[in-house]
Amino acid sequence: MDVKIFEGFTDILFEVSLALIPLLLFFMFFQVFMLKLPWKKVKDIFIGVALTFAGLSLFLQGVHVGFLPVGQEIGDIVGEWQRQWILIPIGFMLGFVATFAEPAVRVLNLEVDKVSGGYIPSKLMLYTLSIGVAISIALAMARIIYGIPLWYFLAPGYLLAMGMMIYSTETFTAIAFDAGGVATGPMTVTFILAIALGFAETLEGRDPLIDGFGMIALVALAPILSVLTLGLIYQYKEAKEND
Amino acid sequence: MKTLANTSKEVVYAILPITILVLVLQYTLIWMPFEYVLQFLVGVLMVSSGLILFLLGVHIGLLPVGEMIGSSLPRTGKMWMVIVFSFILGFAITVAEPDVHVLSGYVDQVSGGEIGKWTLIIPVALGLGIFVSLSMARIILRISIKWVLFVGYTAVFALAFSPWMSEEFIPISFDAGGVTTGPMAVPFILAFGVGVASVLRSDDKSADGFGLVALASIGPLLAVLVLGIIYG
Repeated sequence: MDVKIFEGFTDILFEVSLALIPLLLFFMFFQVFMLKLPWKKVKDIFIGVALTFAGLSLFLQGVHVGFLPVGQEIGDIVGEWQRQWILIPIGFMLGFVATFAEPAVRVLNLEVDKVSGGYIPSKLMLYTLSIGVAISIALAMARIIYGIPLWYFLAPGYLLAMGMMIYSTETFTAIAFDAGGVATGPMTVTFILAIALGFAETLEGRDPLIDGFGMIALVALAPILSVLTLGLIYQYKEAKEND
Repeated sequence: MKTLANTSKEVVYAILPITILVLVLQYTLIWMPFEYVLQFLVGVLMVSSGLILFLLGVHIGLLPVGEMIGSSLPRTGKMWMVIVFSFILGFAITVAEPDVHVLSGYVDQVSGGEIGKWTLIIPVALGLGIFVSLSMARIILRISIKWVLFVGYTAVFALAFSPWMSEEFIPISFDAGGVTTGPMAVPFILAFGVGVASVLRSDDKSADGFGLVALASIGPLLAVLVLGIIYG
């Protein structure tokens, strides 16, 4: 048995260096021409950049040796089963757990709680969002099994969002579309996506490029629709009270 | 040190529950070979510790500067400078965004190298840069976010349904819109945007801190769709 830990690490280090160069140049430019921060602050920034470098390298290495191969293996195994539909409830559970515990989601929920003056409690938002993302991932898995085009979900989803937007306030619209990015936490993009890719690669007649990707798009749609819906209910109640 | 404890707690909350669920599923349904379980646990350890270090670095080093640059730019009184530097900053943070690297790495692998890693990263970063500039212009010109979203998504659907579009780019483009709003871009765009908004419009800055991230995910989406038309 051989466990891979540092395989391909030099490539990752090289890539992360490339990734951080533009940001570093940008700061140095501002430091020289505008900010002119004292040396002590500059030292803090360099420590920050060094930590970011180390963190990003470890993260990407972990995805490379851990999440991608294992996610794909799980997708492969399920792809060989007679009853592939089991991946739909598995996807639902993974989506629910990933969102329910995600700290960024909790920050968003508190924000909505505040904006709605407590009418949309953060607990309600938490369950709505977690179930929303769970359904999105279940749909993404179903899409792979039955070969449903991504459009069948995205087109009605975004049309509905645009329609609700017309009646929503500026603030709820902004929060809803901001929230689209919140639900795609660190496990969704890395691990759950790798399962979908492995699964789409194993199934006959599926192109992993077309059928495997698209999951993050569905996950991003869930909070947009949830926040807009809850926002409209809140506005309706406000209007009724003012009558 | 309080930030270290907080950051660690946040990362563990985001990763631990799903790790446990995967282990439960492994020993009830999946039964993959044991070396894969070990490999998964190695991945969990590396991803969690990496994310903790990354977030710490962003918070102590990069975010305060983002805010400083954000509030010092409008004071120069030159609007073109706000727009130009928003673009450069948007580009630079996307190139350093973890999720963007993960997605483009997967696309590279699944397409067998046909759509290379940097072939995807560069347009995504350009798209985000352009839309961060547009967001700033929107704040300065006081245009409703609904209009920008409406025009943006109409353009998305028009491009996606155009006859020159190559089909395999559609799911990737929508995914690219989602991954740009990752652990780097979200706090950074917010810090920078709130910095700019607080100087530009001291009257109602709260309304404009919202909506920056929303527009940031349309840019990469459009950029990858354009890439799909070039390929197609």
